[in-house]
Amino acid sequence: MEEVDMDPEKASEPENVEVKSRVFTLEDDKDPGVELSGEMSEKRLQEREKISPRRITNLQRHLTTLVTNIQTAADARESMRRKELEEARKMRLELLENDMKSSQEKFEEITRGWSLTKEKVSAQELQEALNNQQLLLTSLLEDKKKVIDELQQELKLGDDHFVKDLKKQAEERDLMLERMEDQIKTLTKAYREELAQTQSVNQRETKDLLTNDTSDWEQRMKKLWDTEQARLAQRRKTVEEYEAKIHSLIFETMDKQTATKIEQNAKLQVLEREHQKTLASIIVVRLNQIKEKHELEVLTSSRVDSLQTEKKNAVAKPNNQPRKTSQSLSKDYKQSVQQYERLQKKLKQIVVADARTFEEMWATVEAEVRQLAERALEIDSLICRQHFGVAWERPPMPLAASSSSFHTERQTHRPARRAVSQLYHTEQSLQRSSQRTTMGVDAETESADVDHASMGGTATQSEGDAELEDGTLTLETVTKVMELLWEEVGFLMEDDPTLLASLEKEEQTAIKLGSLLFSFGIEEEDLPKLAHFLLKYRQQQSEQTERVCDETGESSDQAAAFDPTSDLIHPNHVLPALKSFLNQYMKSRQNSCQSSVVHTEGRGSSEDKAYWESLGNVIPDSKVQLWEEAEKTLTQYIVILTDICALDTETDSLRQQNAELRMLLQQSLNPQVCHVTHQ
Amino acid sequence: MQSVASPWKRMQYRAAHHRRTVEVICPTIATMPKSYYPPESNLKAPDGMRKTRTIIAEDPHWTLALVPRLSNLCLQSIASNFEENPIFEQLTPSQRRFIQERLSPSLPLHITANLISDGIYWKRCCELRWDLCDVSLYGHSWKRMFFERCLENMIELFIPDVTEPKTILDMVPHCRNYVKRLDICQLLTPVKEPQRAEEEELASEHEYEGPSVDHFDFGILLDKLTSLEELHLVYRVKHCGMNFEWKMFEMTDRDCESLAKALMSCKTLKLLRLHQSHIEDNKCRLLVKHLLDHPSLKVLDFSHNLIGDRGARGIGKLLSRGNLEVLNLCDNVIRDHGAKAIAHALSKNSTLLSLNLRLNRVRDEGGQAIGEALLKNNTLCHLHLGGNEVTAPTAVALSEALAQKNILKSINLSCNNLGEAGGKALQGAMSLNTSVTECDLRLTEVDEQIVAFINQVVWTNESLEEERRAREKTDK
Repeated sequence: MEEVDMDPEKASEPENVEVKSRVFTLEDDKDPGVELSGEMSEKRLQEREKISPRRITNLQRHLTTLVTNIQTAADARESMRRKELEEARKMRLELLENDMKSSQEKFEEITRGWSLTKEKVSAQELQEALNNQQLLLTSLLEDKKKVIDELQQELKLGDDHFVKDLKKQAEERDLMLERMEDQIKTLTKAYREELAQTQSVNQRETKDLLTNDTSDWEQRMKKLWDTEQARLAQRRKTVEEYEAKIHSLIFETMDKQTATKIEQNAKLQVLEREHQKTLASIIVVRLNQIKEKHELEVLTSSRVDSLQTEKKNAVAKPNNQPRKTSQSLSKDYKQSVQQYERLQKKLKQIVVADARTFEEMWATVEAEVRQLAERALEIDSLICRQHFGVAWERPPMPLAASSSSFHTERQTHRPARRAVSQLYHTEQSLQRSSQRTTMGVDAETESADVDHASMGGTATQSEGDAELEDGTLTLETVTKVMELLWEEVGFLMEDDPTLLASLEKEEQTAIKLGSLLFSFGIEEEDLPKLAHFLLKYRQQQSEQTERVCDETGESSDQAAAFDPTSDLIHPNHVLPALKSFLNQYMKSRQNSCQSSVVHTEGRGSSEDKAYWESLGNVIPDSKVQLWEEAEKTLTQYIVILTDICALDTETDSLRQQNAELRMLLQQSLNPQVCHVTHQ
Repeated sequence: MQSVASPWKRMQYRAAHHRRTVEVICPTIATMPKSYYPPESNLKAPDGMRKTRTIIAEDPHWTLALVPRLSNLCLQSIASNFEENPIFEQLTPSQRRFIQERLSPSLPLHITANLISDGIYWKRCCELRWDLCDVSLYGHSWKRMFFERCLENMIELFIPDVTEPKTILDMVPHCRNYVKRLDICQLLTPVKEPQRAEEEELASEHEYEGPSVDHFDFGILLDKLTSLEELHLVYRVKHCGMNFEWKMFEMTDRDCESLAKALMSCKTLKLLRLHQSHIEDNKCRLLVKHLLDHPSLKVLDFSHNLIGDRGARGIGKLLSRGNLEVLNLCDNVIRDHGAKAIAHALSKNSTLLSLNLRLNRVRDEGGQAIGEALLKNNTLCHLHLGGNEVTAPTAVALSEALAQKNILKSINLSCNNLGEAGGKALQGAMSLNTSVTECDLRLTEVDEQIVAFINQVVWTNESLEEERRAREKTDK
């Protein structure tokens, strides 16, 4: 049995050794391979690549066979065992069969013996037969026992074998495990080595490739650099050349340009010179022409109007010089006049301001004095009523009247003054106010003048019209009026027309007007006023005439007298109109001058003095004496009163003492009473 | 219990929750580096936190960037209250990940099973339960691993008549969609009371009707697992110790019947592996009868059993009436008659790729029949006839097939006494063959040189095969 068992082991073991040796040889092969790979050539690499997987597969194959050998050995042993078991069973069965056959024969013998014994009669024979049978039976039993023993021994042996087999199998299993582990280890080692190899090879390859590439790259870069630098140098050269060229070209062109410029300048100068020459010649020609003309004119004029020119020259030449001087003088004059006016205006303003302040002062002082007087009167009344018991009468009040009169006076003056103040603002308003003043102030004195009073309402109305007209009053109308005035009133002037004749028409009229106004004493500013007045006058006149016509019925002359050409004013009416204007004008002037003066002067009058004095003496002397006496008595009375007051306090204290004493008395009395009552 | 019942309790709960959220914020500000810890720990030790609390201005490590976001706080509260209010599907993938990392693995399965997809949560669950977790065995799905192993554990610890079948059935709706494989390595037998065991030995033979089932009844389970594909079963008890009984290591007739019906009801099954379970001819025939015309079964493994010729005949029938691709019958007691039946089926079959008859008693008659069948078959790639007491005539028959057809890729004839004649026949056949990449001739009494020659041929074939594959890859 054991020999048979050993056989597969033996068969497997040499194989193991072989495999191991193969593995080693493979590993030995590897080492030089690794060394060789250091030298490295691509062919060898390829060979290696081919060889290495084969090696790995070989390794795998051998190692697996190494492992599976055990299994197959076990299988073989198992099959062998089964074979043996079967054979043993067969043997056993045969043995048992033989045994059975022999025992059957013996049994038959015994049964035969039993039948024989039945035939036996004698006891001895029977005894012998019985003994014989017993012997046979024991032998049979022994045989059976033997067989049983044998079988039991076999069983034991089988059990032992089974245990042994189990142990062996366990060992083999362990061995298998070991080998498997070995296999895994060697395989992993081999794989790792191969991996390392391939990695190293790969690395080398990549390194080589990299170095090759880098060298190639560097070479190409170098080439590129060189070519680039060469190109750059070339380019620089060309650039320099071109620069030089450009510079030279620039200078050339510059030279050319300057040369042409100089030439052109020279040409231009020549041309200019020629031009100037021609101009000069033209001028000379013209001058000559002018000269000729002048000469011609001179000649003709001298011949025709030699006398006249002489005369004129005689007049004009001296005139020309003084005109200038007169102009300058007139300018000075105007300036001085303006200055004068300004001063006047200022003066007026100052006067007005003074008047106002004076008035205010007056009012305040008056109010104060009056209050004082009132107070005094009140005190007086108190004294009278209380101390003397006399009915008090209010003394006659002179102040009331005077003050009221003053007030009225002031009221009358006020518009005038306002007008004066307004004078400086506008002409129109001035005119109006002046008219008012004329109406107000001169109403009594100048009733004779042309229907001013009678037509109060209409006057104001016309005033409005005049004002309206005034707004549209143009210079033209003014000049027209002036001309009319001159024509009508010119006779008043003693100018000789010859002087004026030399001047132009406008100048003539201007001079005429100037002289006229001067003679009238009217200032230039008043000129439009005059014109206006004249126009208004015409209207009034026309109304008057209408009224007259209505009354009389004969208006034909008057109506016809209205010049259709001049709708301004009838020339016949100019003179009276002027007269009246002058009257008005002068008066208004005087008034305007006076009105401011009158009040200031009026203040200093005796009336005011009396007024003030009356105010001062509101309380008469007799009264004062009365007062003094009253004072005296009163002081005495006060003294007595104070004494009484002092005494009063004393009495009070005494009274209190009395009360206290009384209380004490009562208290002292009451307890006694109580005591008594108690007792 | 989990749902808050009365309003008063709800109030308390709210208050507690509120306090907790506040404390979550405060200590995180105070001790910033460990800002991400589960909120339960905050609940337990707020007092300890209070001691270590510092004013922000004094803490030089404090920065605003470390303050947890409100969204994170919300997600934390979702994770902590997942049992009452499971919110998962509305969240974005990143938020789901966040929650999966924080959910408690002890949550009841009826909440998590069908709500939370495969991922970190199930990984955590698995690692909490088991030390070894190789997710690659489970199709890289942690969830599948969790449910499969859960169900396996429950079945392996199922004690008939003691454990309620309902406990397993309750699990079914949760794991139905995820269990693809059941690898059950023990099935417990019903409990016998130890005192009475000896007394009953005599009496029970007549009176004792036995338990309602001998092992776990798969009939109640298999038809409900709609995605089950693989079933590995062993009728045995691990660590039985001195309570050893042969009964523990065999499938009874009742088990076989129930299992056969269950297998018939499981239409998605692809792989059935029933090994070391003492299957005899009758049981094998019963199982095979129910597996006939199964729509999806591809792999059948009855290794290490006691199947004889009758069973083999049944399996031969299954080969002709099914889509089996892999058949493993190693370590059985199939003899020449059974082998002949299988060979007959093989000659007509066009689906089988692999046949394993290791450690049987096929002998030359069976081997010759298989060799002849291979001449007619066009699909079989792998054949294992190791340890079958085959000799030279079988080798001659196989070498004929090898010489004529280039279909077989691997052939294993180890542990057979082929002898010189067989070796020579194989050598002649292999010199003509180009498809075989594995040929195991160990312990066959064949000459070393012949073995070496055959190995050489095999290796060249292998390399050729590899080259072809590489070409195919590059072509693709």
